Amino acid sequence: MAEEHFVVVGNGPAGHQAAVTLKEKAPDAYVSVISRSRGSCYRPHLLPDFMAGKIPETALYVCPTDAYKDKGVKLRTGQKVVGLNLRERSVALDHKEIVRFTGLIIAAGGKPRIPEPLWIFRDLMLTLKTLEDAKAWREKLSRVDSVLIMGGDLTSFAVTRSLLDLNKKVFFMLDREAFWPLRCDRVMLEEAAHRLSQRGVEVIVDRRVKSMARVSDLACEVQLNGDRVRAGLIGAFFGLVPDIRFLVGSGLRIDRGILVDEYLNAGYEGVFATGDCAQIYHPEIRDYWVSIGHDNAVSLGRTAALNLLGGSVMVEAAQESIFEVQGIRVNTSWWMDY
Amino acid sequence: MMAQVDLTVEICGMSGDGTIAAGGILNEAMSRAGLFVLAFDSYPAEIRGFGRCVTHSRVGDREMRALSDRTHVLISLDDKESQSRIPFLAREAVVFFDSKPPSYVEEGASIAAHVEPDARLFGMPFSELAAAASGSTRGRNLTALGGFAAVFGIPSRTFHEVIEKKFKAKGEKVLDANLKSFDAGHRFALERLKVEQIPPIPPLVKGGREDLPLVKGGREDLPLEKAGMGEPVYPPLEKGGREDFLEEAEEKILISGNEAVVRGALDAGLALYFGYPITPATPIMESLAKALPDRGGRVVQMEDEIASIGAVLGSFFAGKRAMTATSGPGFALMTELITHGVMSETPAVIINAQRGGPATGLPSKTEQSDLHAAVFGGPGDSARIVIAPTDVRECYDFTLMSFQLAERYQTPVIVLTDFFLNNRVEKVEIPGASEARRANWNLYPEESAKGRYERYSITESGISPRAIPGAEGFLFSATGLEHTEKGRPDYSSDIHSKMTEKRHRKIRGALKDLPEPVEWSSGGTMDVGVIAWGSTFGSALEAVLSGQKEGMQVGALKITSLFPYHAEAIRAFMKRCKEILIPELNYEGQLANLIGHLHAKDVVRLNRTTGMPMSPTLIYERIKSLI
Repeated sequence: MAEEHFVVVGNGPAGHQAAVTLKEKAPDAYVSVISRSRGSCYRPHLLPDFMAGKIPETALYVCPTDAYKDKGVKLRTGQKVVGLNLRERSVALDHKEIVRFTGLIIAAGGKPRIPEPLWIFRDLMLTLKTLEDAKAWREKLSRVDSVLIMGGDLTSFAVTRSLLDLNKKVFFMLDREAFWPLRCDRVMLEEAAHRLSQRGVEVIVDRRVKSMARVSDLACEVQLNGDRVRAGLIGAFFGLVPDIRFLVGSGLRIDRGILVDEYLNAGYEGVFATGDCAQIYHPEIRDYWVSIGHDNAVSLGRTAALNLLGGSVMVEAAQESIFEVQGIRVNTSWWMDY
Repeated sequence: MMAQVDLTVEICGMSGDGTIAAGGILNEAMSRAGLFVLAFDSYPAEIRGFGRCVTHSRVGDREMRALSDRTHVLISLDDKESQSRIPFLAREAVVFFDSKPPSYVEEGASIAAHVEPDARLFGMPFSELAAAASGSTRGRNLTALGGFAAVFGIPSRTFHEVIEKKFKAKGEKVLDANLKSFDAGHRFALERLKVEQIPPIPPLVKGGREDLPLVKGGREDLPLEKAGMGEPVYPPLEKGGREDFLEEAEEKILISGNEAVVRGALDAGLALYFGYPITPATPIMESLAKALPDRGGRVVQMEDEIASIGAVLGSFFAGKRAMTATSGPGFALMTELITHGVMSETPAVIINAQRGGPATGLPSKTEQSDLHAAVFGGPGDSARIVIAPTDVRECYDFTLMSFQLAERYQTPVIVLTDFFLNNRVEKVEIPGASEARRANWNLYPEESAKGRYERYSITESGISPRAIPGAEGFLFSATGLEHTEKGRPDYSSDIHSKMTEKRHRKIRGALKDLPEPVEWSSGGTMDVGVIAWGSTFGSALEAVLSGQKEGMQVGALKITSLFPYHAEAIRAFMKRCKEILIPELNYEGQLANLIGHLHAKDVVRLNRTTGMPMSPTLIYERIKSLI
């Protein structure tokens, strides 16, 4: 290939920042962003506000889609990467198109995590990862009076706040999965329950879901051990898992996410992973950690791009901001901000 | 306020992909679904094998006058060819494409590599679905239509009816394969809508997506008023709006300009058709070959266009209504005999379906560059009648009218259509001809003239009573040479002067029977007046109406009588306009050349020779620049 072709998989905050940085630092290179979702990059942490009607859709976007063109970045939306061939240095799209690259940054992000026991009820629960999710929430909320929040990741608190602002009755089910990705202990549970109750939330603790059903267009019923809750909508907030199934068998090392060194390199020349889907080595703690939160994602996106262009920028993460959760170390700047 | 649906759908493929067939089915189905349709196909000049085919269909809940500049839905049957359509896509356009080509393709071969990021890509394995459903990939065009029907909420039964109508004659096997291919695409798209929770597009037809199963807790068919897209392309339908127009639309039929010409000729009582095949007029002969014999008429394919016009003149001379249809190159061959008709004062009806020229030019592209040839073509002062319809309905009306004009004014009448007009289909009302509109307008000589008949007698109107050969006591000679009132050759100055003046007086007198210009304005003075003819008028009117909506002082004048033309009416309109804009699909501005002198200052010309219909936006922008 005569010219550099950098391909970025994913158009979240990390992918967008990576692409912009690549073009900024290597203006002659051809930079493509391939995203399975439509539209421009948006700020996922503002989705609860959008869901509640506090901000318009336009306020979510980092930039309009035309801005990619203006910056010389080719944005391909609604297109899914289904395979990676490291030998040929190409990715395959689901419509059987091969895209060859000289450098690759994988910023595929995460997808909502539904714990195994609840998996069979997934169609009855709403998540809030994408703009489409938020639109679905927004539309359905106009027709219901109450919502049951399950899980308890960081998004769930923002959503709860928005729901209360909308004068919805909120049930919040706190269990051992709550506060993902932080470890949940009894003290935290009680503290959270207290705070939520003070704001008018009906907190349900130490209960396990036995069954779940839609009883009408406007109501779902959740059978718990020893209790029963009826709510218009059910939200599932159990954190995210990296969306990297398409890389299985590619040769990249994968654990919880794509294993990368402290420079975000995935073990192959010119191949990097960044954002939610990367599991990053920390030379001081000698272990891998993952990162969540908007600001971290932007920073990692920039780092990956600089290193792809020949830099040697080490990912920075203070040891004290890294938590260990279920054997995984997590840097949660978002949590700290919250 | 009435609901607004205004959607432009393009299907693009290679010759042999079934593109044009799919477009035809789409148009018919949309029409049956209660929508108005204005559609046009562009295809290569060659019969089959290579070249890009594109069908353009504009559908809406009200009558439309031109194609839209922006495509809201692109169905790609060939990604390489379809890339040429990308610049015309509206924001958030929906693009259907084959998501499983036979083998992997390099970057850039798929249309997905080229669309703008706001486009809604809808990949469907056209070939795979068609093959699985029918055993052959040939029905992939129908599979694509199935996807379209599902996504846009057109009931599949509507498409089934059209597919059955189209393929029934080809046998059960072919029909079954096509129905199955359609259904496979329809099912696939519904499933994808369900699984991928694609943002809904309001059904174009109320209740059209009733067959979409609701997904528990997942995608539901949103109430129409909630389901807007980024651009108001498919605004919500208002209660009662659709029903109103459905009732109105029931009496209308989907018909092409060529078919309308045929209907007009048949309703006029056409007895004989003589022609030689040429794009885009050939379908006229093909249709008449089927229909005319049933009505006691005859279609004869002649050896060339010279023979065709000769036979038409001969038929009319003998008292039988006859017609020929051709295009630029054929019309050029007819020129000499047309002037013979002028000189011998013999009626003839000639449809000139213009295409890109000169010479053989661009056989399958549209242009309006034969106006000079139609009005002035040929040796000598050979005034004849030239009329030009602006839409499909007028193709019918003007063809019907042309026979009476030819008879009354004893002259060739040229009906000037164009490729876009001939090939486009519109949903229109064709009322059928009353006795009065079919009536023979020939002015026969009085019985008292028997024995002293002068075929070319000089009269006040210039019209000389015309006897049909064989009538006892009304012997006369007719010739292309200048002649006396009795028809005998005479080259004297006096006779030539008198006879030339008589023939022109006669043609000028035809104005009273020719359609007058029609104005669209709020009256009074205007900043810009747009004058247009032929198919370009539709684009001009759309542009003017847009301007009027925005408060501009603009108006449109439709001119359908090109020779003779209503100079006083045109001048009066021009006087009320600060600027006169004349958009035309020719290089110089042939209408501007013809009528420009009526304006006190230079008219503004807007000329395009792209082979495509005139863009309403282009006219609109030019109007704006003049204000």
